Amino acid sequence: MASPLHDRLNRDLSTGTSWLVVLAVIARSDEPIHGYEIARQLADEAPDGLSFKQGTLYPMLRSMETDGLVRSTLVPSTEGPARKCFTLTAEGRRVLASWAESWRASSRWVNRVLGETDARR
Amino acid sequence: MHDADHAPSPSSIEGYLARLEVALHGADPALAHDALIDAEEHLQAAVRRGVPVEQAIEAYGPVDEIAAAYRGLPADPAGKTDETSGRSVDPPSTDGSPRGAPTAAVATPAQVPAPRLRDVPIVGIWFDSRAWGALLYFGGVGFVVATGCFVWAVVLGSLAIGLLPIVLGLPLLVLLLGSARALCLVEGAVVQALLGVRMPRRVQPVHGVAGVGFWQRIWCWLKDVRSWLSLGYLYANFPVSVALFVVTITMSALSLAMVTGPLLQAANVPFVTLSSDVDRVQYLWTELKPAADGTIRLPMSLALSSVGLGLVLATITLWTMRGLGWIYGHVVQAIQVARPHAVPSVHR
Repeated sequence: MASPLHDRLNRDLSTGTSWLVVLAVIARSDEPIHGYEIARQLADEAPDGLSFKQGTLYPMLRSMETDGLVRSTLVPSTEGPARKCFTLTAEGRRVLASWAESWRASSRWVNRVLGETDARR
Repeated sequence: MHDADHAPSPSSIEGYLARLEVALHGADPALAHDALIDAEEHLQAAVRRGVPVEQAIEAYGPVDEIAAAYRGLPADPAGKTDETSGRSVDPPSTDGSPRGAPTAAVATPAQVPAPRLRDVPIVGIWFDSRAWGALLYFGGVGFVVATGCFVWAVVLGSLAIGLLPIVLGLPLLVLLLGSARALCLVEGAVVQALLGVRMPRRVQPVHGVAGVGFWQRIWCWLKDVRSWLSLGYLYANFPVSVALFVVTITMSALSLAMVTGPLLQAANVPFVTLSSDVDRVQYLWTELKPAADGTIRLPMSLALSSVGLGLVLATITLWTMRGLGWIYGHVVQAIQVARPHAVPSVHR
């Protein structure tokens, strides 16, 4: 069973990376993507224990839209009412590239430190 | 803590929405409206794809956690915060703190907000963007939008009613109802931008239109109270906008004339030029007689009084606009967030 400290790391990782992965999922979609589809893809690909509640995605998307990172359009649906779908703006792509670079740099740093720790064991 | 915290986990979408509505009690109505539609749309999409409803609800998250996420959005409807909030588009923090969260708990001297001109009592209204936004809205933008919507609703409504006996009127009526909802959303965006009252970004879906035939779909649109409420708003908003336009233009023009008229005298422009059959006028309780060419120039004391009273009237006008903007914005918000499809009680 995971300890509270283990949960804390997962929670912090989830909080710190959620904007990055949501932008990445929108960026890799060829067409405007619906909130449910973003949540489904994230849930399918998330490692065990690292996930965020799908309902928090929508206020996040709203903030992203306010910040000019994503743009929403209403797309007609055969299954029901028109759905709100999202695409990345030019600013969103620029921010994603910048954040991705930050993440890779952080990741390299953590791996290097962990590698040294493992070598001393 | 809400009572819903201790209730068993809801087993239906309606039950979840009811709890979310309770958890969002006291939040901005437009924000709560959007939160409920987001949840409803997401959960229904999950169920349509074969996900068991209990599992979809669990994945969506506890109502209090979701409500807290919405409550954490910026209070300003435009999403902009002032320079003291420390919020900006920064990369995700590596210390695990949420993106955009203020990064310093203790304000340095440089971060102490400077007193703002708009906070000055009474005359601070001159520096209040909401007051100027309301002046622009009631004095032009709102009037034009309301008139355009009214003309559209009257023309299409007359056509629809006239063609009802030959059935062709029914699709036109549906078009009118659909366009009324869209126009209300557009009008809401204008109100939010100029009056600063948050408006819903989402239109409530018409229930029952999925997977049914053309005539059943028309029936769903016709029986949806929200459509008729939107249409009624387009009709009722016109006389209200006309009245507000008249009040705004009258107060603005009067205060502008009282201030600029005496000032223009310095540029040798007479305060007023009378026709030959008028031999005297009253201005600010003072009787004035025209010169031989019919022009009137204010004596210095009267000119100063006019400028002073004009500035007072302009200040009153801005306060009036601010107040009317607040009232009007919240009335429009209440109409747009009305939920005719009442969310069932928590204990259902």
